[in-house]
Amino acid sequence: MYESPLFWPAHIKGKTLFVLDETLVPSKMKYIPVKDVKGAVAVIRSMKTRAFGQFLVVLNTFLLELDARGDLVKHLEKVAGLLNNSRPTFPFAEVTGIIVAVARKAKANGADVRAAVAKTVQGFLAGIRERRLERVRQLAAALEYGDCVLTHCNVSGELAMAAAIAIKEGKKLKFFATETRPYMQGAKLTTWELAKAGAQVTVVADNTIGLLMAEGRVNKAVIGSDRSAANGDIANKVGSYQIAVLAHEFGIPLIVLTQPSKGVKSGEDMPIELRDADELLKFKGRAVFGTKTKGFYPGFDVVPHSLITKAIPIHAGL
Amino acid sequence: MQGYKPGSIVLLQGVFGAGALKKLKVAKGMLVFVCEGRPSLEAGKVNSKALLARGITPTVICDNMAGFLFFKDMVKEVYLACQYADAGGALCDTGALICAVLAKRHNVPLKLMPAKHKTRFLGNPEDIVSFEGVRITPKGTKGYVPLVEWVPGKYLCKKSK
Repeated sequence: MYESPLFWPAHIKGKTLFVLDETLVPSKMKYIPVKDVKGAVAVIRSMKTRAFGQFLVVLNTFLLELDARGDLVKHLEKVAGLLNNSRPTFPFAEVTGIIVAVARKAKANGADVRAAVAKTVQGFLAGIRERRLERVRQLAAALEYGDCVLTHCNVSGELAMAAAIAIKEGKKLKFFATETRPYMQGAKLTTWELAKAGAQVTVVADNTIGLLMAEGRVNKAVIGSDRSAANGDIANKVGSYQIAVLAHEFGIPLIVLTQPSKGVKSGEDMPIELRDADELLKFKGRAVFGTKTKGFYPGFDVVPHSLITKAIPIHAGL
Repeated sequence: MQGYKPGSIVLLQGVFGAGALKKLKVAKGMLVFVCEGRPSLEAGKVNSKALLARGITPTVICDNMAGFLFFKDMVKEVYLACQYADAGGALCDTGALICAVLAKRHNVPLKLMPAKHKTRFLGNPEDIVSFEGVRITPKGTKGYVPLVEWVPGKYLCKKSK
């Protein structure tokens, strides 16, 4: 199976985690060395890595921090706290809570905390990899001959890999990728990995989705999700809500790759990260709209479950 | 939403003529948000300049953020830059349909004001593969740049004079 570099964008070697700097792709494939939780929080907060890459960083950070002196459980609790607070919308606490619980249990039982945590993290990673590959196969099956698919932001390798499978099966497909301002993950990452997968892809501005749907230029929309609620609502990159509303209006099925969770009841309970407005007002250090203009940058949208036609879940349990 | 009250935003979509923005009524305490208008960013630049000249500080958002404002019930009314209108609907700068559908769903009044200019139907695909003159997408990536779109009359509640 073709594997996109964005499918698994962080690899641990010895005591260093190498994290793909997704802000540089496709012009450069540079991996940032991360040696501790401070470095991990920095790459998450600065969006050098995003989406699934963040979860890889969160999990692997526990492996980096296992050599701490003193009370290891207390140290891992502190590590978990730092990771949980790195970006508010992501449910990192649901993952770090599992690791901390394993550490506490091992200590209470007089077992080797280091070994227990390492085994848990490695098992978790291996399991999630298999389940994501299964989700790729399910998404490939959901793509039909002649589909013209709208996608937004970047689905961490899974859409490109599904496209590669579907194309190999003889399905004729086209993709429209929204640019996804202000970081432009769609224009940079999605176009790049879909093209590498052998798919035909066209980039459009984020304001073009209505016309694409109204004119029947797309017949399916596929997005990822960064968080799910118990009722099936999801949070995903800002722009997802208007795609969902318009897809509903024009009768276009919306497929969402999800990570089911009961951490919060509904999308209303998900905190939405407001990022620095300069990230949209400035480009390469220059004020794009003049210096007196304000900006507003919510990082995520909530998409109510009622607007989702098909969820393809991954079950991330241990 | 941190510092933003429900119904406190007037949302502008498209590039408006200076005359239109001079007539825009903004009640005290209301904020004016402007969709940036990729790929040229002309909406963000031109509208901001005209609003600042009136003493109104605009807030620019990316074109994918309008939905968030509606979802949070922050939008009081929406203005679309219109190039042509008749009984069947209006030809507006691209992005208008998104705001129109959102406004209908959230019961927000949608109004038309004259666009700054009549544009071609399609822009240069090269415009969307770069940002402010800097290439963004991988070499060889195709782009599609519609500059206008039709907003059916069912979404419109009031037309400007």
